[in-house]
Amino acid sequence: MNQSLKIRLLQGDPIIHDIRNANVSELFHGLPKIEDKECLSGCTACSNVCPTNAITLNPVKIDLGKCVFCPLCEEACPEKIIHFTTNYKLVSADRKSLIIDKTTKQISPEVASEKIRKYFGKSLKLRQVSAGGCNGCELELNACSNVNFDLGRYGIEFVASPRHADGIVITGPLTKHMSLANQICYDAVPNPKVIILFGACAISGGVFQNSTETEREFLSKNKIDLFVPGCPPHPLTFINGLLDWLDRK
Amino acid sequence: MKYLEIQNNQLHNIDEITFLVPDEFQESVRNLMITGSRMIALTAIDRADPKKIMAAFLNSVDSTIQIIGGEFANSNLEFESWANEFPQTNYFECELAEQFGFVPQNHPWLRPVRKQNYILNNKPYEFYKINGDEIHEVAVGPIHAGVIEPGHFRFQCHGELVYNLEINLGYQHRGVEKLFLQSSDSQRITLAESITGDTTIGHTFAHCSAVESLTKTQVPLRAEIIRTVSLELERIAMHLSGLGGIANDIGFALPSASYGRLRTLVINSLAALCGSRFGRGLMIYGGVRYDFNQPIVEKILQNLLIIQKDIKEINEYLFSTVGALARLEETGNVSSELAKQVGIVGLAARAAGLDEDIRIHFPFSAYKFHGISTFHLSTGDVFARARLRALEIDESIRIVLDLVQNISTGEIKNNQGKFSDNSFTISITEGWRGEIVHICFTNKNQNFSQYKIKDPSFNNWYGLSLALRNTAISDFPLCNKSFDLSYAGHDL
Repeated sequence: MNQSLKIRLLQGDPIIHDIRNANVSELFHGLPKIEDKECLSGCTACSNVCPTNAITLNPVKIDLGKCVFCPLCEEACPEKIIHFTTNYKLVSADRKSLIIDKTTKQISPEVASEKIRKYFGKSLKLRQVSAGGCNGCELELNACSNVNFDLGRYGIEFVASPRHADGIVITGPLTKHMSLANQICYDAVPNPKVIILFGACAISGGVFQNSTETEREFLSKNKIDLFVPGCPPHPLTFINGLLDWLDRK
Repeated sequence: MKYLEIQNNQLHNIDEITFLVPDEFQESVRNLMITGSRMIALTAIDRADPKKIMAAFLNSVDSTIQIIGGEFANSNLEFESWANEFPQTNYFECELAEQFGFVPQNHPWLRPVRKQNYILNNKPYEFYKINGDEIHEVAVGPIHAGVIEPGHFRFQCHGELVYNLEINLGYQHRGVEKLFLQSSDSQRITLAESITGDTTIGHTFAHCSAVESLTKTQVPLRAEIIRTVSLELERIAMHLSGLGGIANDIGFALPSASYGRLRTLVINSLAALCGSRFGRGLMIYGGVRYDFNQPIVEKILQNLLIIQKDIKEINEYLFSTVGALARLEETGNVSSELAKQVGIVGLAARAAGLDEDIRIHFPFSAYKFHGISTFHLSTGDVFARARLRALEIDESIRIVLDLVQNISTGEIKNNQGKFSDNSFTISITEGWRGEIVHICFTNKNQNFSQYKIKDPSFNNWYGLSLALRNTAISDFPLCNKSFDLSYAGHDL
């Protein structure tokens, strides 16, 4: 008994109280800022080094759905046009708004429809499906529920059965071998239900875009409710995105 | 017995390998395993033309890597299986058969490794099944109850007792090895980081070392130390996560939450160094991208000292609580003999008393000049695997504290050289699960002709299935967590 009290005291107060304004490491690569400057004529340095073909030129645009936030483009650019900020708020409900250019100041998801907010605003239970996820995204989703981030305080939790879930969170590039299981799982979730794509692999295939072992038809057949960019996305990205989307304080 | 002896991360020309005719190849491999060598790879050396194959072995006693080559006729890819005499080759043979169409004759149990709808002898593959009164089958997965990766488990049970567990994987197959051959330099590093996201440093380390050998790139000492420190931080973080998971699986909430809190400190230390909590973007060919500075070193020291202090209390609580010990001890046993026979590696092998640690026997990077202690426990049960994690965390903290306080000054990156042609190298690192093997072959045009990856999970999934024999099925989650194997690393 003494020992357990001692450990409880050591635990202290590890929770991040103000999750809306929490700080991350100074080196964290979040929302890129694209300077309003001209590229050198004919320069393709940034798009050449990008491992996931996330950059298009003239003008410079970065697709955060593909980006793995590796900062190779920032290093490669001779004009220092691309700069990664520590802004971790990257979640969007609209795939197109993940493609950013020099005018982008911030990304915030459109608030979910009234129906979704009415059903899930105070309680959202999610079933995670790893369809080729490397365990990076899975670890960060697990971290959301730890004593630091404590996603449960907002009534958002991961559940074991799709029957108990209000939606699925997909990680990984959707491998062929998981395509059937993913479909069965989604079908088992009662209506209304949401689909959240977590990480660059799920959103665009990420570094596995050219793999012949993926089967991504599920994504074009169904409406995707939320995109969570990152490789893997930071727990703060996910939690803040969900809260914004559900219009929670 | 004709074999080539090489060292970890050494560059060799492919022509140095003597490619034996199938019968001689079979015989040489057998003779080598009689001397106690353990197989680490059995693979074609050219993905496009798989008739030349290479078998690679480790001999921990005299610290050598041994290689035997074999050349088969296109029309006849048959060889006599070794698996009846040496169960350690079982799964490697299955993989060779599945990837390249080789036919191991008289193989005891040819089964799918990553493929679905596997056809064997013109029939769909069927799971192993036991028949009898009161025998029942339990099928679990691919999707499991938690936020984890997918895999399918088939139990043959008698009441609560598991008679056999067949583990069927491959759901995560993304074609990683194939992508390595098609990718650019910058893509390859990102790809290596995504082989298994929980061992980002371990795999990227092995990959970068392999490429650095092939390009004769010297890595500066300071960069070697930063890499080694990050590898040990990854070990501490994932061992803490493992201990938290084990505590959670026996319903022991307080230690579970506490280990989780400490893990956050470690991965935030990695984030202080490179911005990513998993060390993504840290490594580049020729060195590392981010250097230590005073605030980073202080942050790492500060976090590790908290862990050092707190973990003592938490360990004592977990490992002295009778209810916890009752669950951990003599659950999921793997005896030392069995572990050796089936070729278990890394943490699980050391928990069963085997002397397997790449950092000691095949030292790479900073381990070449910085001493490290390794531990063995003998019982091979869940307790041993949990306790060993605690011991290894202590030792890793010691190394990190030592290295960050006595780091040499200098550059952190050298320029990458040009790829050697017609060459190969074997690069092995000790990740937190165990040995990570990357084997890379280049052709005459200096392009990759084959890239072979072996995650420790490839060996150890078999260990898990054997650990479950005669164990209550209710202990499966606990046994599974005590091994904590990678699905993505196995499926590639």
